[in-house]
Amino acid sequence: MTDLTPLTALRDRDPRSARFGAVTLSEKSDLSLASLYIGAGRTKPHPFGLDLPDIGKISNAKDHSAFWVGPNQWMIERKSPSECDFAAEVKAQAPETAVTEQSDGFVCLELEAPEDAMTALLAKLINLDPHSLTPDTAVHTGLDHMTVFVLRRSVTRLDFIGMRSYADSLWHALATAAARMNNLDT
Amino acid sequence: MSRISGGIINRDAPISFSFNGQNYQAFEGDTLASALLANGVQLVGRSFKYHRPRGILSAGSEEPNALVQLGRGARLEPNARATVTELYEGLTANSQNHIGPLKRDLMAINDLFAPFLSAGFYYKTFMWPRAFWEKLYEPAIRRAAGLGRLSFKPDPDQYDKGFLHCDLLVIGGGAAGLAAALTAGRAGAKVILADEDFHFGGRLLSESYTLGDALALEWVETVLAELNSLPNVRLMPRTTIFGVYDHGIFGAVERVGDHLPTPHKGLRQTLWRITSKQSILAAGAVERHIPFANNDRPGVMLAGAMRAYANRWAVTPVQSARDPIAIFTNGDDGHRTALDLLAKGVELLGVIDTRADAPRFGDYEVFASAKVSDSKGRHGLAAIEITHKGQPKWHKVGALGVSGGWNPNVHLSSHHRGRPIWDDDLLAFVPPKDGPKGLIPAGAAAGRGCTGDALSTGMNAAITALGILGLPAHKISLPETLSEAHKQEAFWHVPATAVDKKRQRKRAWVDFQNDVTVKDIALAHQENMRPVEHLKRWTTLGMATDQGKTANITALAVMAELTGKTIPETGTTIFRPPYTGVSLSVLGGGDIGQNFRPKRLTPTHKWACTRGAVFVEAGQWMRAQYFPKPGETHWRQSVDREALAVRAGVGVCDVTTLGKIDLQGKDATEFLNRIYANMMGTLPLGKVRYGIMLREDGALYDDGTCARLGENHYVVTTTTANAGLVYRKMEFAHQCLWPELDVQIISATDAWAQLAIAGPRSRELLARINDGFDISNEAFPFMSCAELTICQGLSARLFRISFSGELAYEIAVPARYGNALIERLIEIGQDLGATPYGTETLGVLRIEKGHAAGNEITGQTSALMLGLGNMVSKKKDSIGAIMSRRGEMATESKRLVGLRPINPNDPVVAGSHLLKLGSVLSLEHDEGWITSACYSPHVGSAIGLGYLDRGDARIAEHIIAANPLEGQNIRLEVVSPHFIDPEGERLRD
Repeated sequence: MTDLTPLTALRDRDPRSARFGAVTLSEKSDLSLASLYIGAGRTKPHPFGLDLPDIGKISNAKDHSAFWVGPNQWMIERKSPSECDFAAEVKAQAPETAVTEQSDGFVCLELEAPEDAMTALLAKLINLDPHSLTPDTAVHTGLDHMTVFVLRRSVTRLDFIGMRSYADSLWHALATAAARMNNLDT
Repeated sequence: MSRISGGIINRDAPISFSFNGQNYQAFEGDTLASALLANGVQLVGRSFKYHRPRGILSAGSEEPNALVQLGRGARLEPNARATVTELYEGLTANSQNHIGPLKRDLMAINDLFAPFLSAGFYYKTFMWPRAFWEKLYEPAIRRAAGLGRLSFKPDPDQYDKGFLHCDLLVIGGGAAGLAAALTAGRAGAKVILADEDFHFGGRLLSESYTLGDALALEWVETVLAELNSLPNVRLMPRTTIFGVYDHGIFGAVERVGDHLPTPHKGLRQTLWRITSKQSILAAGAVERHIPFANNDRPGVMLAGAMRAYANRWAVTPVQSARDPIAIFTNGDDGHRTALDLLAKGVELLGVIDTRADAPRFGDYEVFASAKVSDSKGRHGLAAIEITHKGQPKWHKVGALGVSGGWNPNVHLSSHHRGRPIWDDDLLAFVPPKDGPKGLIPAGAAAGRGCTGDALSTGMNAAITALGILGLPAHKISLPETLSEAHKQEAFWHVPATAVDKKRQRKRAWVDFQNDVTVKDIALAHQENMRPVEHLKRWTTLGMATDQGKTANITALAVMAELTGKTIPETGTTIFRPPYTGVSLSVLGGGDIGQNFRPKRLTPTHKWACTRGAVFVEAGQWMRAQYFPKPGETHWRQSVDREALAVRAGVGVCDVTTLGKIDLQGKDATEFLNRIYANMMGTLPLGKVRYGIMLREDGALYDDGTCARLGENHYVVTTTTANAGLVYRKMEFAHQCLWPELDVQIISATDAWAQLAIAGPRSRELLARINDGFDISNEAFPFMSCAELTICQGLSARLFRISFSGELAYEIAVPARYGNALIERLIEIGQDLGATPYGTETLGVLRIEKGHAAGNEITGQTSALMLGLGNMVSKKKDSIGAIMSRRGEMATESKRLVGLRPINPNDPVVAGSHLLKLGSVLSLEHDEGWITSACYSPHVGSAIGLGYLDRGDARIAEHIIAANPLEGQNIRLEVVSPHFIDPEGERLRD
């Protein structure tokens, strides 16, 4: 175990969290990510029992889930309590695929809000019909000039997975929208 | 006071406001315009060019005259239309475009010089003498230009943005819009109903008639109550749809806080991007006026607006309630105003109707076949001259309503360059057939302005729109309406009497805001500026903030009369966004100041902040530029110290921003061979190779390194600037050019924190964190790479590469550990002289070494110019390889050289042009340019890199670096681009 102390994407020891009325914004620093690619025409593997989903969808299997990120390419994710070589674990599950560790490449910010508030908030964040973003839907879109994956975990929970270097700007965008909706200062 | 009975104002909620420092009272529901009229204020501003006294002309967003400055201090807003400014407690407004008091504007002298200020006077007058332009004419014109003035202070309010999606967007909440929204809403479609007004209802709020058994307002309230109860309908009052864009996208501004004394939490307006599958244009119509001599006096108003003020706001536009009002019309609509005013007990002089068979609908006098031929009144209308049966006669009036017909609001329908179509019956342009796809006109906007027609066309438009979407919709029960008289004749302006020269000198205004008169149009005709595009630019017609909403068609009619053509033959005015003015603040969507654009922070950002780093923007990245130490007062001191520390000991620099692309797959090697110009297929496992990529045209695209981590696993680095572009190029090549290749391409730039450890003691420093991996020169020579662990088990990647020319490494760790790693390296390397360095020093070191960067790889340079022509392999094909061998590129003679001043104290300025000693400083003798320059603490003078004709054969030659911008001509010596270690021994040590 290394003696270096890691920082979260928002550059703190502990993940950040804030509440804006009924909306809670939290940094999820315990998400392991690895991209998985299969060559064109190859049969989809089932790492961790996952059915690799079609465009725009999330599939879940116990502790793991997967969402589509490109032609023949998915992101596999798992909540991991501590550091691990997630790419190696994925590769072990799907040896014929190309796997790249992405846990440190992204920041995951989670929004929790009642359904109505979530719908109103989405209108201020991304150019998608909130009603089309049903639970277990994942989209790759733009938010405040940044590229993000938006994952609807449930009616009341939404994850924004953006590039790690944009973590502060992504937090600012989400916090500003949540605060404005509740007439609060950021 | 001219307040009358009725109206949709809340008399239990009085509001205080001020205009030009005078306090007034009005009521909730008033606009600034209705409130001013209620207080007997007719004079509200001055015209643009002649500074003529002006009053309120309309009751809507088409207003050309009543432009005021709202607010004060940083919230000062110029050119606000009083007619759409919702009154609130404490509102402060001031008139604009005058020097001295509004009534005694010193600039009114312009009106005396009107004969010299006619259309086109700019183009003719300011041509000579030429020398006067810059110092006299331009400053004077700039001072005179514009109406209101900006505060020049930062905007204190906030703006927001958002996205909405619906099945049907209904633009306009009048009779047609409400019927459409109700039809679609009941059918279950997702509907957005938007109206620029703060109260839905459109003209229904301004008319006195009934719908079915109820007043129009009651029907409006009933429909709104139902629409509000439907979860699939979103009502958006105070929202202007200002533009129609491709693919069913509409731009809209919602005025969230403009009607509040201070916007709540500072949020003033929201910019909405609405995506709608279908849309209905129910934006109503704008009334035309009829130009006559001196028709611009305060008190002259559109008759429909006069009706609106009377019915909705319970005011008449007279200074005193006893002043009589007259109506001048060419159709039946003017008579409706007369009837409504009579019903309100207003003193009515009568209706001056241009038609010989003018009807009479009530108990008032009708002047048939008559015209208003002149007016009097200094700051407000006092009298009009009616020419009836050939005899002019003056009549005292306090206001005049003018009705020249109605123009459908076709603006949005022509935003895709659709040309409106002339309708001979309506005497107006109606929306084009080739307008935006999915946009269906209805109601007055479609030329169907009678209430019954508006309701039914709105309903039918909704049924049609939903039918296209496959959503069944049914007819709704519409209220019964009375038939409305709407005959009119084509009468466009009152011509000056040909025999009366005094009258010929008088002016009749067509475009009030830009002071364009009938005479100006005649002059344009005389000057052969007859096409509508020329007419517009020559006279400035329709080019003011109101876009000529009340003027354009009348101007076309006048020109048509002059040319003897029909109006559609004369031309068609089309429009472009925005429909009404949109502030730049809201277009920015609130992204101002530090939030103007997102920032990317490096993994060591926190540590760099604690070290007092000065940051510089590199694209969206914030990179540490240098790390000043106490006592260093100039950036050069810090940078010189950092550069010398690297050359003497060891320095550490965050180079995470360089692009990192992970490639895997059995065809990864072949893929890279096709992407890179040099050979990558022979790269052994555990090795790194410098590579160059070319554009399709053969020019240099990017450079970087390629490391082979596994049999089918590579990591490519790119320049910071081109990280995204190279990744995109690779994706394009894979998906479109060579989809058969089995390769995964994915960016890993953010996943790894990468630090450069450079300097003769870098190996020693690295050894202190290394868990035991053999980094000796023998085991891990220059251009090696490996995966290892450091700091007791942390997975890392090590690359022995050098941008500085020194013994150097780049080490990559998971991004979360980047901050701790640099902290550790500097801490444990104190005795080795470990020094953090930033981008400025990075630049100095690479220039000293002669390494190319973005300054050298500009998109106009080639591998040959960099001296890397041989790297473009002929043993394989790659993107751009063949094109790089074409004539001009293959014979390009410029080569990268180093440059050093003969006098060590002289500067070397990047961008300077290189010339032979003694040659004339001209482009013909230009031999190249300086690409990069810096002060080199190693050399002891400024140095530079540059491209010079046959540069490689001119080492030791003296040349001139010309910098004409600053009058500099510096003598330089041409040297090797490698100022340090030309043999490359240090980095291989």
